[in-house]
Amino acid sequence: MHATACRIYALAVDLRSVDELENALREVDYLPDRGLATALFLATALEKPVLLEGEAGVGKTEAAKALSRARGARLIRLQCYEGLDVAHAVYEWNYTRQLLHIRAAQEGTVSEQELFGQDFLIRRPLLEAIDADDPVVLLVDEIDRADEEFEAFLLEVLSDFQITIPELGTIRARRRPVVVLTSNRTRELHDALKRRCLFHWIDHPSLEREVEIVKLKVPGVAERLALEAAAFVRELRASDLEKPPGVAETIDWAQALTVLGRQGIDDEVVETTLGSLLKVREDVVALREGRLAALVADAVAVASS
Amino acid sequence: MTQTGDALLADLVGFGRLLRAGGAEVGPGRVADAVRGLEAVGLRDDRDVYFTLRQTLVSHREELELFDRAFASWMRGVGAARLEEQDVKVLASASTRRSGGDEGREGEERQGETSTRGASIVEVLRQKDFALLDEGELEEVARLLSEVGRVRPRRTSRRLRPSARGQRLDVRRLVRRSLRSGGELVELPTRTRKVVPRKLVVLCDVSGSMAPYARALLLFLHATAQAGRVEAFAFGTRLHRLTSDLAARNPDAALAQVSQHVVDWGSGTRIGASLKQFNDEYGRQALSRGAVVVIASDGWERGDPELLGREMARLSRAAYSVVWINPLKGTPGYEPLAQGMRAALPFVDRFLPGHNLDSLEGLAGVLAGIERRHAA
Repeated sequence: MHATACRIYALAVDLRSVDELENALREVDYLPDRGLATALFLATALEKPVLLEGEAGVGKTEAAKALSRARGARLIRLQCYEGLDVAHAVYEWNYTRQLLHIRAAQEGTVSEQELFGQDFLIRRPLLEAIDADDPVVLLVDEIDRADEEFEAFLLEVLSDFQITIPELGTIRARRRPVVVLTSNRTRELHDALKRRCLFHWIDHPSLEREVEIVKLKVPGVAERLALEAAAFVRELRASDLEKPPGVAETIDWAQALTVLGRQGIDDEVVETTLGSLLKVREDVVALREGRLAALVADAVAVASS
Repeated sequence: MTQTGDALLADLVGFGRLLRAGGAEVGPGRVADAVRGLEAVGLRDDRDVYFTLRQTLVSHREELELFDRAFASWMRGVGAARLEEQDVKVLASASTRRSGGDEGREGEERQGETSTRGASIVEVLRQKDFALLDEGELEEVARLLSEVGRVRPRRTSRRLRPSARGQRLDVRRLVRRSLRSGGELVELPTRTRKVVPRKLVVLCDVSGSMAPYARALLLFLHATAQAGRVEAFAFGTRLHRLTSDLAARNPDAALAQVSQHVVDWGSGTRIGASLKQFNDEYGRQALSRGAVVVIASDGWERGDPELLGREMARLSRAAYSVVWINPLKGTPGYEPLAQGMRAALPFVDRFLPGHNLDSLEGLAGVLAGIERRHAA
């Protein structure tokens, strides 16, 4: 992050109640339900990490991004994956520069202290977040993908908010970052980590809220289309699919239908645009062969009631 | 809400106790967080009180239902009488989580006695069908099983560790060492991939036709779970996740917990429907992806064999390897004639018996060396 940006961000917005946070999130185009707003508020107020779990596509990652925008804080994101280690999550030494430096200097004149100083340090997300002077939202995305060794390490960092680099010493957080962890539950997280965190399960949004989201994210969407699209996606989630569509899919789909100049949905247009909602071939086939027409009819009926 | 605010704070400890009685893990630190949380959000809005307590006290999705009941019951009681004992009982029985603790140590005394019985008896036990074991023999088998279960399938991790014969340069060490030689690269330290246990998912049929084998298989599962992370499920007409039940150290305590939760112990079998439930709920969370999946069942399907075939196909697509153990296969001349078994077999990589200790040892050997897509 640039120095100028840091200065601007240093004026973090102080949000003193759940209502204030909810409004601030709305202002940055994110519509949380009350539970999520409470969870994000508590994460800030209690300075505790919050773990967000929920089906794919309910907006876990988006929530952290919105929180950073709403608070005027810098977002630092650590995307987890199998094999993620300290070198990619915390810090690494710039080996190329170190080697060049040793070679360029006269023999015997390079001290270890010089070689392992700030100049040769590559700062990765966790160090960046702990060692920040400006307000920060740290997003640890898909923690369930990282392996258990890393989880244990993260637990340590989140307990003390400090990082030890053998060559440099211990770096303590001067102001604690707001920490948001997300998990898709591909595996059960360790209890110790869960105990350290606030926990919030995000459900798919209610029909009303999803309509609201569509109208916010798809400019020019017809009122009836927004309602019918949301209702249809809701029907899909209730039926038996391998990969039920998330909110992002609803938005994409409503966007596509709007571009096509649609005011509402019918069998034909659903049939041709199904690909933007369902990402698994089996689901598309099962639906085409089966209940598609019935689901469309149901959705239209729900929307008009 | 405001009038009841003080009572609410005062009674929060009681609420924590109520949740614990239901089987949720609520440490003292969590109640302190709940108090701080309520102070921060205020008590004006019931929704905020609800979510604050939920987010601070509960850390598993499976506990949310329990929480909702406890919360409703507690709200009724705030400012008035204490919770009725009845509520606690309802909660306790509704719980799907373990309550911890190692009860039931009665079996231990017999162990010393049985170990003096001599090797020949052990030999006989190895071959004896689980269905024919008496109580004492079963205990001996349990002891032997705890050794067998320790073997796990393995895979190479993406993590690296220093190794003399690795393929990747360990640049960090390289820089450190070259410092001594003024930047000359004298030796090239390397790193290699670690080998770690592969995910193991076990689905155990506990329906009526499997009853004689279920207990031995669950003991096997318990032993396996002690050796590392195993995701274990029992099924009959429906699927039950056993992972947390098997965490107890004592096999008998673990079995007691399992039998409490598996309500359809000894009822009919719907393998296809149970697998579907597994694929829907856990497969979607990628629990089975890259895992060795072991199914223990005799293949007597009461439901639709076609559904079973379909769900087996789904499972085998996600899994690294599918092993089916069938106690009937131990019978000389056994042919997989059961419709369910026939529907499932095309998607099974290894088809093994599991009727005695010997065959479970065979299973352990197979698991240790398993590779993808063996012929059945």
